[in-house]
Amino acid sequence: MSRWEYFAKRLLLTIPVLFSVLTFLFIMLRAGPIDPVAARLGPQAGAADREAIRERLGLNDPLWEQYVDFITDFLTFNFGQSWVVQAERDILDIAVSAAPATLWLGAWAILLPLFIGIPLGFYAGLNPNTLGDYTASLGGIVWQALPNFWLSVMALALLRRTREGGELLGINWYTLGPDFAARDISITGTPRLEWFSTTDVLMLPVPYISDWTALAIDIKLILPPALILGSASMAAELRIGRTAMLETVNSKFVETAKAKGLSNRVIVWKHIFRNALIPLLPVITSEAFLLIGGSVIVEQIFNINGLGRIFFQSLTQGDLPMAGALLFIFTVIILGLNILQDFLYTVIDPRVGYDQ
Amino acid sequence: MSTRQSDSTGEFDERDDEKLFRDRIRENPRPAMVWLAGLAFLLLLEIGRVFAGIGQAFGIVGFVVEILAGIPVSVGDNVAGTLGGAAGFVATAVTAVLMAFALTVPVSPSLPDSAVDILGLDLSRRGTRWAKRVELTFVLVAAAGLVAYTPVGGAFSALIGAITGGVDALTASLPSITSRDLIPNTGHRLPEGGWEGTFLGLSPAVAWAIRTGLVFAYAVTFIVWLWRGFNVYRTHYRAADWTPRDDTVRRFRNNYWGLFGFAIVFLFVVLALWAPAVSPVEAQHNIYEPNAHEFEYLTENGEVTSTTHVFANLQSRSDGQNTVGLMSYDDYDRWAPLGTTNRGQDMMTHLSYGARTSLTIGITAIGLGALIAVVLSLVSSYYKGVTDIATVMASDTIQAVPALLLIMLVSVVFQEADHPIAQPLDGGLLLALIFAFAYWPGMWRSIRGPSLQVSEQEWVDAAKSYGQTPLQTMRKHMAPYIAGYILIYGSLLIGGVIISTAALTFLGLGINPPTPEWGRLIDGGQSYVSTDSWHVATVPGIAIVLVVIAFNALGDAIRDAIDPEADVDESEAAATGGGA
Repeated sequence: MSRWEYFAKRLLLTIPVLFSVLTFLFIMLRAGPIDPVAARLGPQAGAADREAIRERLGLNDPLWEQYVDFITDFLTFNFGQSWVVQAERDILDIAVSAAPATLWLGAWAILLPLFIGIPLGFYAGLNPNTLGDYTASLGGIVWQALPNFWLSVMALALLRRTREGGELLGINWYTLGPDFAARDISITGTPRLEWFSTTDVLMLPVPYISDWTALAIDIKLILPPALILGSASMAAELRIGRTAMLETVNSKFVETAKAKGLSNRVIVWKHIFRNALIPLLPVITSEAFLLIGGSVIVEQIFNINGLGRIFFQSLTQGDLPMAGALLFIFTVIILGLNILQDFLYTVIDPRVGYDQ
Repeated sequence: MSTRQSDSTGEFDERDDEKLFRDRIRENPRPAMVWLAGLAFLLLLEIGRVFAGIGQAFGIVGFVVEILAGIPVSVGDNVAGTLGGAAGFVATAVTAVLMAFALTVPVSPSLPDSAVDILGLDLSRRGTRWAKRVELTFVLVAAAGLVAYTPVGGAFSALIGAITGGVDALTASLPSITSRDLIPNTGHRLPEGGWEGTFLGLSPAVAWAIRTGLVFAYAVTFIVWLWRGFNVYRTHYRAADWTPRDDTVRRFRNNYWGLFGFAIVFLFVVLALWAPAVSPVEAQHNIYEPNAHEFEYLTENGEVTSTTHVFANLQSRSDGQNTVGLMSYDDYDRWAPLGTTNRGQDMMTHLSYGARTSLTIGITAIGLGALIAVVLSLVSSYYKGVTDIATVMASDTIQAVPALLLIMLVSVVFQEADHPIAQPLDGGLLLALIFAFAYWPGMWRSIRGPSLQVSEQEWVDAAKSYGQTPLQTMRKHMAPYIAGYILIYGSLLIGGVIISTAALTFLGLGINPPTPEWGRLIDGGQSYVSTDSWHVATVPGIAIVLVVIAFNALGDAIRDAIDPEADVDESEAAATGGGA
């Protein structure tokens, strides 16, 4: 089977998966143990109200008709309106307005581990069985086992403490960089993302950074949660980077390069570094999974009004259709990323085949 | 090989390794007897707890049977709601028969064939197999019908009640050396100094330390004795001098990182199993029903008065203003080795019972998930084709939804609806089932490759052509080769389950009070981290980190021990916990 056939097969398989996810959601929200009317109105509602809601939600239709309606609505992103969290507002609208904060968080949560985890892992792999290697490896193991929610709680407490003079390594987080204490803003909160404007270059709008202070504030807001959200990936990158480095260092072509008399620098950067990056690619792409799951916790603790927090609110406040819709949006994102990953593999690495 | 059939080789030329395990014990019974006597003695020391465990197992089995028995009727009710009463009755009957039949499939091969022969039918092997199953189904349905619809049912439940009542009575009356009655540590100061009501008049702290030390000494002795049993078996009763398993054990013993993991996991399990002995106050008094239980203490005026736990708890909260820290007494003479929680309950009690909760959920979830994964991987690699594609579809569907969010949604849906499954452990069972549902695809995927490889082996073909049933082929010739892989993934995933449970409880979506859980402690203490009451959120957090590191180390060590060359991708397993 050729690579493209394999890719096409994966693509085709996505369609039934999408339908079974929708069926699952339908069962959970409509046909499951919970009564949608009671969830909407509470148990004390009068009979007339209940009947009106039943009619409005289409619960009096036959089940298969409800199912078809449900699926067509979801596939056309017509999710209806939120019940409680932001009552009567379009769910898609809410999701779109909450997405930038999550994207900002996610981007940093991917970037930070990349620039910390991989160099550390490569360093450990280049100097195996030294003190530095043991420290980095042990750090990675502990870092991976730290629960995000606990880490967030502890980090927030430590950062808050710096305000009252209890300085952390001589740093006052409030005054470091853009001064939060003077501006009287909290060290948690939603990044406003209002630091760029667009200018027209040849009739095309091109964004540029217009307000560097605002950018700095947004980065400072997002750094701690992003570091915590990326902690698990950072540890994974460290470990896999170390193994990849060790394997590459001991491979034949590096020996050849040494025999050719190349300098250490050239060997490391040109021959080792690039080859060791290959096994790291799937780790980086699969991070989206962690980020979406973890964003609920981190956003909730750090008060960031992103998609994760809204999902959490819709669950705790009984806004089940919104929770279902958001879960569907997350699923679509993940399916899209899977396809992208398969596509990249197909293009980049000829070794991936059906048997994997 | 102990399983080899001795009749085919003949009786006269009997070599040592041809003998059955039973025969070898008969020839040299002494080491086995000594070991068994030691085991019996150890069990006798803790006989009270052994019976408590048996009682709990009864309770669990009873609950599972009750839930399963309720399925046909609830299916029938659902159908009756839409299609009418008669259809409902038919649906009930059909479901019951189907469930009974599913039960007979794994059981029937162990029954003698003669049961079918009574009918005098001339059947092929396949026919016999099906006849046996149908027969057994019939018997089961008849028995279930008797229990459900006739007075026999009353007698039956009375019998069950008598047995469980008997076990409970035994539990209450039998002693054990780590019991609270033998080494009490709850008492009060006397006006003239000294303590009243504690073990030998020692201070509660010392009495508690003695009891906890005894628990750990006992547990260590027990595990050492088990290890000795393995050695006795190896030197006296095993036919072969060497098996590959010896190498596995040797590799594990030389892996210090793995031994560290094992030690911490052992501590955690002991903490969970002996929670009633390790906790300084009784959970029933301090956490579950603080209103109903009184105790005595010495007031500042020098009088001994009594108060309820609920009142004393209010006064000994660790909430920033007041703190009952590590290794200290509260104002009511209660010893708190790890301080109190933000609600004034005892932290050590919370921690040990929380370990119990986490362990129960972890084992249930991973056990159930692994069971599903193994069964599906065997079936899909044996039959291939449509079964395989259906399994791929199902697992792709579940994996396409972010696991943590899926778990949150399902948990909320069932808890909002007040479903009976959400009752045990205040949502713990529900959570375990959801974890099993969300995690089996990952495990299935990781053992899919090995099981596909095994299914291509010649011995599987040979087994098929010898006329072994598919079930036997899978069980005897395929399953042993994937057992190791599932063990590795199980222990790597269990850390993820523990973290996720704590995270969900932290968010208020997991286990509801009063069942103790570590995540709730962190939630309660999160505002006080930078105050004097820092321990409330810190201690359970460190506990989680240690346990998760330990399970990861154990999983890595098992992997290295089973197959040092194994190329097991652990990033997926580790990733599941990372989201929380």
